[in-house]
Amino acid sequence: MSSVSGAAAPGRGAKTAVKSSMWRQSVRLLLKNKLAIAGLVIVVLMFLACFIGPMFSPYADNKTNMRIMNRAPNLQHWLGTDKLGRDVLTRVLLAGRISLTVGLASMVLSVTLGTLLGALSGFFRGVVDQVIMRVADLLLTIPSLPLLFIFGALLSDWKVPPENRMYIVMLILSLVNWPSMARMIRGQMLSLREREFMQATTVLGLNNKRKLFHHLLPNLIPLIIVIATLNIGGAILSESVLSFFGLGVTAPTPTWGNMIDAANNLIDFQERPWLWMPPGLSIFITVIAINIFGDGLRDVLDPKQKR
Amino acid sequence: MGAYLSKRLSYIMIILAAASLMIFCLYAMTPGDFISSNIKLSAERKAELREIYGLNRPVLERYWTWLTHALRGDLGYSLAQQRPVLALFNTYIWNSFLLAVVSTFFTWVIAVIVGVVAAYRQYSWFDTLVMIVIFGAMSIPSFFIGLFLIKIFAVDLHLLPPGGITTTGSNAVGWAHVQEVIKHMTLPVAVMTLLGTGSLTRYFRSNMIDVIRQDYIRTARAKGVKESKVLFGHALRNAMLPAITLVGFELPALFGGSLIIEKIFNWPGIGQLYIQSFGQRDYPLLMGFTMLIAILTVIGTLLSDVLYRIADPRVKL
Amino acid sequence: MKKGFVILSGMVLASSLALAACGSDEAAQNAAAPSGAESVSSGDAGSGAEAQPAAQTTADAIQASDMSKLPSVAQQRTDTIIVGLTDPSGAFTPYFHQSGYDGNVSSLLYQSLLTVDDQGLPVGNLAESYEVSDDEKTYTFHLPKDAVFSDGSPLTAEDVAFTWTILHDKAYDGDSQIPELGIVGGADYKAGKADSVSGIKVIDPQTVSVTLENVDASAILQLGGDVLSKAYYGKDYKFGELEYIKKLHENPLGNGPYKLEKFIPGQEVRMIANDKYAKGKPATEHFIYKTSEGDAWQFVETGEIDYSSFAATQENLDKIKGLGFLSTVPYTPSTYGYLTLNHEHKQLQDKAVRQALTYGLDRQSIYVDANQGAGEVANIPTSPISWSYTTENINPYAYDPDKANQLLDEAGWVAGSDGIREKDGQKLTIHYLGRKSPDTDVFIALAEENYKAIGVDFQPEVLADFNALVSKVEGGDYDMAAFSTAMMTDPSEGITQFIDGEVLGYDNPEVTKLNKEALAVTDTAKRKEIYQKLYEVVNDDLPVIFTNYRKIVYAYNGRIENVTVSPFTGLADGLSEWTLK
Repeated sequence: MSSVSGAAAPGRGAKTAVKSSMWRQSVRLLLKNKLAIAGLVIVVLMFLACFIGPMFSPYADNKTNMRIMNRAPNLQHWLGTDKLGRDVLTRVLLAGRISLTVGLASMVLSVTLGTLLGALSGFFRGVVDQVIMRVADLLLTIPSLPLLFIFGALLSDWKVPPENRMYIVMLILSLVNWPSMARMIRGQMLSLREREFMQATTVLGLNNKRKLFHHLLPNLIPLIIVIATLNIGGAILSESVLSFFGLGVTAPTPTWGNMIDAANNLIDFQERPWLWMPPGLSIFITVIAINIFGDGLRDVLDPKQKR
Repeated sequence: MGAYLSKRLSYIMIILAAASLMIFCLYAMTPGDFISSNIKLSAERKAELREIYGLNRPVLERYWTWLTHALRGDLGYSLAQQRPVLALFNTYIWNSFLLAVVSTFFTWVIAVIVGVVAAYRQYSWFDTLVMIVIFGAMSIPSFFIGLFLIKIFAVDLHLLPPGGITTTGSNAVGWAHVQEVIKHMTLPVAVMTLLGTGSLTRYFRSNMIDVIRQDYIRTARAKGVKESKVLFGHALRNAMLPAITLVGFELPALFGGSLIIEKIFNWPGIGQLYIQSFGQRDYPLLMGFTMLIAILTVIGTLLSDVLYRIADPRVKL
Repeated sequence: MKKGFVILSGMVLASSLALAACGSDEAAQNAAAPSGAESVSSGDAGSGAEAQPAAQTTADAIQASDMSKLPSVAQQRTDTIIVGLTDPSGAFTPYFHQSGYDGNVSSLLYQSLLTVDDQGLPVGNLAESYEVSDDEKTYTFHLPKDAVFSDGSPLTAEDVAFTWTILHDKAYDGDSQIPELGIVGGADYKAGKADSVSGIKVIDPQTVSVTLENVDASAILQLGGDVLSKAYYGKDYKFGELEYIKKLHENPLGNGPYKLEKFIPGQEVRMIANDKYAKGKPATEHFIYKTSEGDAWQFVETGEIDYSSFAATQENLDKIKGLGFLSTVPYTPSTYGYLTLNHEHKQLQDKAVRQALTYGLDRQSIYVDANQGAGEVANIPTSPISWSYTTENINPYAYDPDKANQLLDEAGWVAGSDGIREKDGQKLTIHYLGRKSPDTDVFIALAEENYKAIGVDFQPEVLADFNALVSKVEGGDYDMAAFSTAMMTDPSEGITQFIDGEVLGYDNPEVTKLNKEALAVTDTAKRKEIYQKLYEVVNDDLPVIFTNYRKIVYAYNGRIENVTVSPFTGLADGLSEWTLK
């Protein structure tokens, strides 16, 4: 935590000043990383396009039109039409709303839960660790396939509207899926505890809270960011899977995942690239951009990186 | 260590007992059963068959029957395939294992090399390129990339077979057979490696960056140790330590089969069998397979904890 | 680390299921039809170039135009035909397998007593002839003198009697309907009260007869199935214990065109010509069913398989023509698709509403146009290839939203402020259940628009797989659910669901009465008359909304000659004639 020393804080409480200057310094560092900023800009543009773009489309009602099915890109339909004559561009943008929301939300959920439990387990060790980790062991043995089916049936019996089901299921999934993430965080935590700087905190007589929040968690941040940003691609794709189980978005509402899935056959591969390229590239670009940004963020927030 | 191990082993027994009950109930609660999807049967016949298979009994009773048999090593007959569950495992698991072992090997080798070099040259064009390729690979659905490679290499170029593990009707033995299998596994292994390498590479890169900055590396450099030796000798060894724990996690993956890949490449593995059996609600097979994976998972976590202790003696558990 | 990305791994698991889904419930449907079609890959819709939906592409046979394009892999096979089959599991004993794909295999290993002609009428196969007694309750089968199994052992009336008897065992868990035909003495045998089924009589080694308690015109096709060797399958038989059969699954002993050579699980079923086959040794020495998951095109295009079925969409046909080395046989499976309706729900008890829902649904667009011509609109519960099919006096219910609106107006359903019709404070909603598939997505997209236009609130719900759909439907929580029948050989099979309560809450005495009449005579001309009446009633009353017939093409390698495929029995009957050029 060498950066602390660089904080000259006139006037105010040393603690807040250290913090704010840390942040300012981080932002400054981040702004210097052009690649990371480019990533951020792309992500923001993607969000804007998806949430605002469809408002300017004459095809925003997602209506079918059988007379113009499977048309290649043309002046009326910039990215062509699908097998029911719907405008692909509009659908890609509409799809992005759901895919982006779901991808981010589910990532945040599972990372939060995993980090929290993993950190607790690694920090306190002993009984807390045993309980959390044995529960994790148990959860790891549970197959997700029947679980999804059962929840699908329950949500259907409880008459939860289909459009809300996906979010509930995402929540359930992160409740069940935290163990592997928690194990990784715990592992890192265990190893951090034994580092010299932590021995120093003990010598200095710092209390648990301070150790955890001021010394251990900041050191975990790089790992968490790496995990989180890596997770996003999977999360965006996982939406198509949930739709498949009847737990996600039902037709005709598009998502990137289910648009690719719909074109996943040899004939569409060969004859109609406009069906799968747009959603595919959207995922591709978004994931790369988020990860590059995450990478920049990681470097900036890594306490060990500052000299 | 001995006390720790015996404690963990007793926990494992409890966890497996609890898991088996939970898993059994999960499958029992999954909507539909083995009989319901046969639309040709009359309602009376369906009732009769449920009686024959014991599906009309209370779940706990069925669980007890299953458990007592399983403890004696009898996992029963698959309802759909009409063969002993264990015999089926023996037929299919090794095919999956082959894919998993080879692709895991490539994944680790590539991840270590690329990760180390990328870390060493952090922010270089090589690092950036690797990063983009990795993220790109991770953003493509595996079903998509699989079919895409089939289209290019099998359908268009006729370089590799489109699927399966051997050429249909082939009687090749010995070396010819091995060659045939290698040809058939090239595409699936390539896809699995492509999808797996990404996250692992990131992991190694991240660890290496950590390690390179440690004082002992600077010391080594200052002493004039050759750079490659610093990198692959001192630094890598330390960066590998946390990775050892991952070995335990790989254990169930080695035997669990890859569901999508096996399906796309028509690979006769256990993953495909599981999915089919799930569609049919073939309870004995589902139960047997899930418990097998559960056991491997629990052993895997134990293994990774123990390895961690050995790798880093400072860590107390 | 790999395992750390939990969402990702969960998703991998799940989307593979997505891929498997078509396979598994195809299996479910196929399981219902032992001699079902080989794996049908439903190529997705869309002919890129022209706007004109290809409604008229009633697939005429395509002839291979350029055999030089044949991949070398296929050229090198000189005495082997390879056909794709989704998932044979190795239980190749007729009547005892649980998967329809195993049925496809066993249909080549065994020759049935009777088969059906191209209209679905029974004709002799292994049996030289059969006759029906005057009271129409007793069937007598005559076997040829020299009939043998593939190991050379004789096949006699004893074997036939044994086959029918063992199916009455209380432990029998297959899906043969023979035990339910009501053979005299069958129930006693099943209950363990008799040592044999009294209605089954071996008259001499070549003659066997069976007597039913009631006349049942559909019985003949059930009885005319495969024959199990008593010496082989009956050696260890004790009443109530059938476990031993499982051990014989992998070594079947039959009398069909091919013998099992080797079964490699998950990969292939190798068969070799049976030189003792009654119709003569097959022209091609080897036949292989290759387990082929995934997109069938990849295997056909690379020459890995010689024969596969495809939905008869324009794009598939174009591709077949483009490849040049494929010929086709067009084919309509003997099934029909329908939307089952829940008659326990009040709004659906009114015939006018059911008719309005049919008029108001653009079935032509959904099942024909969106499917690029690989379908046909259905209006009665039988297949166009059946002898019972008719269009006479049948209302086609062509898409007519005005008519639908008018019917609903007359029935007292008035549009509310939100445009949704109401009656007695109840909104006109349709809670639809479908199984996840590309076809369901198309249906929901179009049906939602169609029904909105006639003031019906359409609420779709998609279930994950066929099993989950059936289970939800059994719970009764739906208004409308999409299904297709199993492969039908006798027209009575298409009617059963209106009689036995499967269509929830539907009970029409007239349908029941006509159905009974149609089963109580065995003369086809008379039955046809009764079915005509029955179809008119059902077509007007609409217990379910009839939707579509599927259209398929069998594409095969142009160097195979004499290819014939029966819409009812698949490859079995014609396969021995297939010749490789």
